[in-house]
Amino acid sequence: MRRVLPLAPDVTELAFAVGAGNLVVAATPAADFPPDVARLPRVAPNDAEAILALMPDIVLATTAGNDPRVVQRLRQLGARVCSMDVTSFARLGDACRLAGNVLGLKAEGERLGRKVDERVAEATARARALPERNALYVVWWEPLIVAAPGTFHDDMLRRAGLVNLAPASAGRYPRVDLELLLDPLLLVVVAPDERDLRESYARTIGSPAGARLASGAVRVLWIPADLANRPGPRLPGALEALVAAREADERQRTRVEGPGSGPTPETSTPTRQRRTS
Amino acid sequence: MKRAADLALVVVLLAAAVTALVFGGPAAPPGKALAVLSGGGTPEVRTIVFGLRMPRLALALFVGASLALAGAALQALLSNPLADPFLLGISGGGAAAATAAYVVLPAAALGVVPAAAMAGAAASTGLVWWMAHGPLGPSSTRMILAGVAVNAATSAAILTMLALAPSPRLPGVIAVTMGSLASASAGQVAWLAPYVVVPTFVLLLHGRDLGLLATGEESAAALGVEVATVRRRVFLAAAALSGGAVAFAGVIGFVGLVTPHLCRLVWGANTRRLLPRAALTGAALTVLGDLLAHRVLSPTELPVGVVTALLGVPFFVVLLRRAP
Repeated sequence: MRRVLPLAPDVTELAFAVGAGNLVVAATPAADFPPDVARLPRVAPNDAEAILALMPDIVLATTAGNDPRVVQRLRQLGARVCSMDVTSFARLGDACRLAGNVLGLKAEGERLGRKVDERVAEATARARALPERNALYVVWWEPLIVAAPGTFHDDMLRRAGLVNLAPASAGRYPRVDLELLLDPLLLVVVAPDERDLRESYARTIGSPAGARLASGAVRVLWIPADLANRPGPRLPGALEALVAAREADERQRTRVEGPGSGPTPETSTPTRQRRTS
Repeated sequence: MKRAADLALVVVLLAAAVTALVFGGPAAPPGKALAVLSGGGTPEVRTIVFGLRMPRLALALFVGASLALAGAALQALLSNPLADPFLLGISGGGAAAATAAYVVLPAAALGVVPAAAMAGAAASTGLVWWMAHGPLGPSSTRMILAGVAVNAATSAAILTMLALAPSPRLPGVIAVTMGSLASASAGQVAWLAPYVVVPTFVLLLHGRDLGLLATGEESAAALGVEVATVRRRVFLAAAALSGGAVAFAGVIGFVGLVTPHLCRLVWGANTRRLLPRAALTGAALTVLGDLLAHRVLSPTELPVGVVTALLGVPFFVVLLRRAP
């Protein structure tokens, strides 16, 4: 394997993480990690002609981030394409091993997959000590866009001891009713910490829909956006950050509400399971 | 028959409004919402009903009435059954400017999106008006052709911006281009009110003139209508109504185009009588459309423009087939 072309930021990170960074011949415009990516030429992920012109031995794609028509076209034109479908942390470890296999770095892929699995298992075990809370993973505040079941964000909530209140059957990232923020069952909102989201959050808490956010009845846990936004090898860091944020939040709740103050019968899950629309 | 239809319209409008307040969201069950409307209820549910559902209802009423009234006025003014704020490029101009603001501005400045939409609607109105002026003054045909051209240009601009927009902003852009009342607030309603009340007054004042214009410009002029003045005032009033609607709700199709036809089939073609009924029908249709948009798959929200079209077109087809 001499020429590797990743078509999304997360598989770019994956290629570098298994030790194939020196084989990567180009990256997509959104790829910005690791810093070595900066030296690479850029290629649009939907430009089949430009992709083939780079003569890759293998193209790394993702089912969520790449146009399936482009992937199909590349395959029809003889390119070898490996498409990853990371919708859970379990699949993340598998993706590391798969990347190692297809890039001829099986041992490195196995090592990375095991490391990812261990970090995820450790963070999940830590979260078991925390009380379950109903939550949403907010992707955007205005309009309110949340992560639904079937996404790696949903899996992250679950592993951190949170029950996702987002509807189960309306796409991966549905736009939902702003009133959901006032649902008394909602206790935690998780959001990636980036400037745009912080600014739109500031507008939301100033509106009637943000009353429970402003009062502190719903806690917002911000986690590093660069770790949480991509289902790549750094994703376990987002889960660890979320569990750490939850631990700090629960300690604060205990200080305010007194020891032994778990969730009330009304708010503790699984009394209220995720919604089905 | 027409009195019964009037009564039915009022009943449907009131029923839609109460339903929107009682069943309008996932956080407060109907019983608790009813308690609030009866003067009781907890502070939390009062916030939901009065802070979220009431402004959303008021915005839906204003937007629906504005679009339908603008459509009815433009169809009479231009003697063209296809005329509406969308065809004339007014909605498109507003949507293009709002989209540009949504894509370019930082999140902290997104509060100015409605103002950008108003400016865009005003700019496209001015452009259409300017393009429609030939050597012999403006004509209905030229105005519609100018609207179609401006509409095509704004659609192209929106599609370009959609292709270039950063992905987190796409839902907001879609809300602008496909209509949404989700971010309604009391402040928005207060801001929109003059853009509804004043143009409505102007259009109702010119109801008789519009009726005469619908029969032809020459005959209207012969009957004492100052065609140029009426055309300017009505076009500006319709543009203000449409610009206000698109500023706070994005592009909601169908309401402006089909509501006047629907009303004509029920109440006849008298423009003066048609205008207020079109406004109330458009308001009811938009309230019902918005209710369905955010309750059918609750808590997932659908674009309200899609729902108003799905709701109204079959009804319109049935009425059209049964009309003599």
